[in-house]
Amino acid sequence: MAKDIFKEFKEHSVAEFFKKNRQMLGFSGKVRSLTMIVHELVTNSLDACEEADILPEISVEIKELAPENYIVTVKDNGPGIPDNYIGKALGMMLAGTKFHRYIQQRGQQGIGASGCTMFSYITTGQPVKAVSCNGGRRKEYEILIDLKRNKPVVNRISDEPTEEHGITVISQYKDVKYEKSNKGPFEYIRRTALANPHATITFVDPLGETSVFPRSVEKNPPKPFEIKPHPLGVTTHDLLEFAQHYGSEYRKISAFLQDIFSRLSANKVAELKEMAPDVDFEKSPKEMTWEDAEKLTKAFQQVKWIAPATDSLVPIGKEQIEASFRNIFNPELLVVTERSPKVYRGGIPFTVEVGVAFGGGVKDADKKGEIMRFANRVPLLFDTSGCAITETVKGVDWGRYNLRNFDEEPIVVLVNFVSVYVPYTSAGKLAIAPEEDIQNEIKFAVMEASRGIQKYISGRRRATEIATKKKVITRYVPQLASDLSSLTGKSSDKIEKKLISIIENKYSGGNGGEEEAPRKEEGEPEGEEAEE
Amino acid sequence: MSENTKKKLTELGKKMVKEIEEDKSPEFESTLRTKSNTIYDEGIGCLRLGEKQETRKFVSVAQARTFMQTVAIATKTKQFLDQNLHTSIRGLFYQLKFSLGENMDEDLFSEQSESNALIEDLEVALKVKREDLNLTTDRKGFVAGPMRIRDRFGGEETVIDCAKQGRSGWSIPSDVDNDMEIEKVKADYVLVVEKDALWQRLNEDQFWKKENCLVVTPKGQSTRGTRRLLRKLADQKLPVYCLMDCDAWGWYIYWTIKTGSMNLAYLGRDFSVPEAKFIGVTMTDIEEYGFLQKLTIKAKDVDLKRAEEMLGYPWINRHKEWVKELKLVLKTKKKIEQDALQGQRLTFVGEYIKDKIGNKRWLP
Repeated sequence: MAKDIFKEFKEHSVAEFFKKNRQMLGFSGKVRSLTMIVHELVTNSLDACEEADILPEISVEIKELAPENYIVTVKDNGPGIPDNYIGKALGMMLAGTKFHRYIQQRGQQGIGASGCTMFSYITTGQPVKAVSCNGGRRKEYEILIDLKRNKPVVNRISDEPTEEHGITVISQYKDVKYEKSNKGPFEYIRRTALANPHATITFVDPLGETSVFPRSVEKNPPKPFEIKPHPLGVTTHDLLEFAQHYGSEYRKISAFLQDIFSRLSANKVAELKEMAPDVDFEKSPKEMTWEDAEKLTKAFQQVKWIAPATDSLVPIGKEQIEASFRNIFNPELLVVTERSPKVYRGGIPFTVEVGVAFGGGVKDADKKGEIMRFANRVPLLFDTSGCAITETVKGVDWGRYNLRNFDEEPIVVLVNFVSVYVPYTSAGKLAIAPEEDIQNEIKFAVMEASRGIQKYISGRRRATEIATKKKVITRYVPQLASDLSSLTGKSSDKIEKKLISIIENKYSGGNGGEEEAPRKEEGEPEGEEAEE
Repeated sequence: MSENTKKKLTELGKKMVKEIEEDKSPEFESTLRTKSNTIYDEGIGCLRLGEKQETRKFVSVAQARTFMQTVAIATKTKQFLDQNLHTSIRGLFYQLKFSLGENMDEDLFSEQSESNALIEDLEVALKVKREDLNLTTDRKGFVAGPMRIRDRFGGEETVIDCAKQGRSGWSIPSDVDNDMEIEKVKADYVLVVEKDALWQRLNEDQFWKKENCLVVTPKGQSTRGTRRLLRKLADQKLPVYCLMDCDAWGWYIYWTIKTGSMNLAYLGRDFSVPEAKFIGVTMTDIEEYGFLQKLTIKAKDVDLKRAEEMLGYPWINRHKEWVKELKLVLKTKKKIEQDALQGQRLTFVGEYIKDKIGNKRWLP
């Protein structure tokens, strides 16, 4: 079964390019690079486990060898990787199973793990070690990339029988730095655990401190399935690529269009022909030119389409997010939205999940006004400012929800953007492009969740106010009791106890007491009087 | 008197303790001391507080501190009475300026203005004067003339003859009620002059002896003691004549003696002398006494503003004489100081006063 997954590997010669442009993979900045490495490897592990229907158990360990020199070990209990795919999986850029597929997935281009191999090699000259347990065999490899030819160089070191399954990837890096910040590996792992409540993740930091994020849900999420793209969801570039890629399977462009796209019937082809009379629908898709593609996508915009199917989306789920939040933060208050899918660019289905956690463990963790961004469950830690999620959440009028100082409140806002196609702003996959449809939906979802906490917070504020009132009055009790005692000869203790019980009674049970009478108006000063 | 005040203070405490025993927030009720609750009592002819009441509760965030402070003042002044010791309102403030507790960054009182206001509240609520609470005020006024005062003070009793005080006169104490009484007054009337300089002139001229009157100077605005003494003298059916500057300050001093002031309206009748007359200096004097013509000075803005305000007060504009006088001030934009009366001849003042009183040429 695992074998099927790796059949679709395709080869792309881009290693050289990315060597020169490693920032495009997210490898820029020392902290960011290390987080990206953890991200790529953990994402692969989660995907592999889920595809094989195994509840993920992943452990990540970062060891410091020397300053800015670390060994990263990521181990999972997935299916492992068969011998003939290990090189492609870890040693070939863009060898994705996922390229050109309209399916909800964590990564969109399979450059991740190989990118790590490349980064390791160019900073340390060391190969990546991998131990794959698959099909009853435990095999240990050393893997390099031949950068010129984008070819993996795989050296098998051992091969022995085993009962286990899973893969361990051990790789060394320089020019990276571990930091326990909001952008570091620990936070990445914590957020990954938050968005993947079916996974148990263990993290060992360079100081040897172990954090375990146990799973809170005993079931893998349903597998998302592949859908055909909707005509409104593609660009000229996409269309041309589809034609190049799948064109040989079709004789005519008209047949290619009907088969490759959803909602594109023979009737619609007729409409498109009218809209784009210059395009020859009878020629082979292989012969499609940029101009043809441009005219066709323009025509797509003019035809009325049935909206795309949205049942291919698999959100984390309300209950799962709740369980996960309780597990990791145990907040005082938690509101999670459950919203129906929407469509952006007219053709790409997506859904937005928002969880707002307030107070309690959030406060203890010293989280203030924190926005946790996710795309298909993957935490987005970088490029905060350019992201549709950040911009939208920051743009909400928090004052309306009794959270005037959003940045100072003990609040965590989780936003998970779920889609078959995530419009990232760059290949580093760190920020979602601010498209209007997406921003609107995020806004509505955040507002929906915020309404839930608004009531609670105002109630809580009131309770605090009452407690403050009580305190303000109570502090004067001893003095008053002692004065009344000396004025009347009655016991000061008794008066004091009685007064405290009167105050308690007045400010108990959510009753804040009647509105305070305003202080008398100030006596108007008038001239000077010889008074003293 | 002091027994009565002590009783009132104890009763206040007992009432509060009773409320506490009944599981109620203790309350402090007093007459509202605001401008809107200040009325002019035509019957008596003075300013006093209206009927509006204010109830302060301890179990209330806005009022708890003030409430506690009020009771602290009541308790402290009760102790003064018990010990038969007096202090000033500043002395009281220092007695009560202490921390509320070891860990509390808050004093019982932090500003004297806080305690001053609450002393007035207590005076109103208990219908006592601060002097009854053994709180003294600074002395300022002086008297000379045929009056004997019996003063029991510091365990001794002294009889003071105000006709035998030489050049300095008898200094009016802050409290002329407690442990003090007017034994005998043989004067025909009381003359109040605004300035000490004029009082010294009249004293040197032996005016009080020649005229058989009491000459008093409040030295500017009257202290409570001076006002109270004037009230007591008026109670003995002595006419009270006032000689002030013809300007804003002079008028104000006069009207405070006569009707009381807005600020101290709570003092009411005990501190006002509605019978008082204003013998001068007036604008019409300029016509009568030609030499004054050259001795007027330009009225300041404050004088004109004050004159306009006074025309708006019902207790002033009911007197057509005052309306005429003030309008004249506004028209001529001039004022005259009482010192001008010495301009021609030092001893002219006496003649002026005799003329005014003898011919009843005064303003009401």
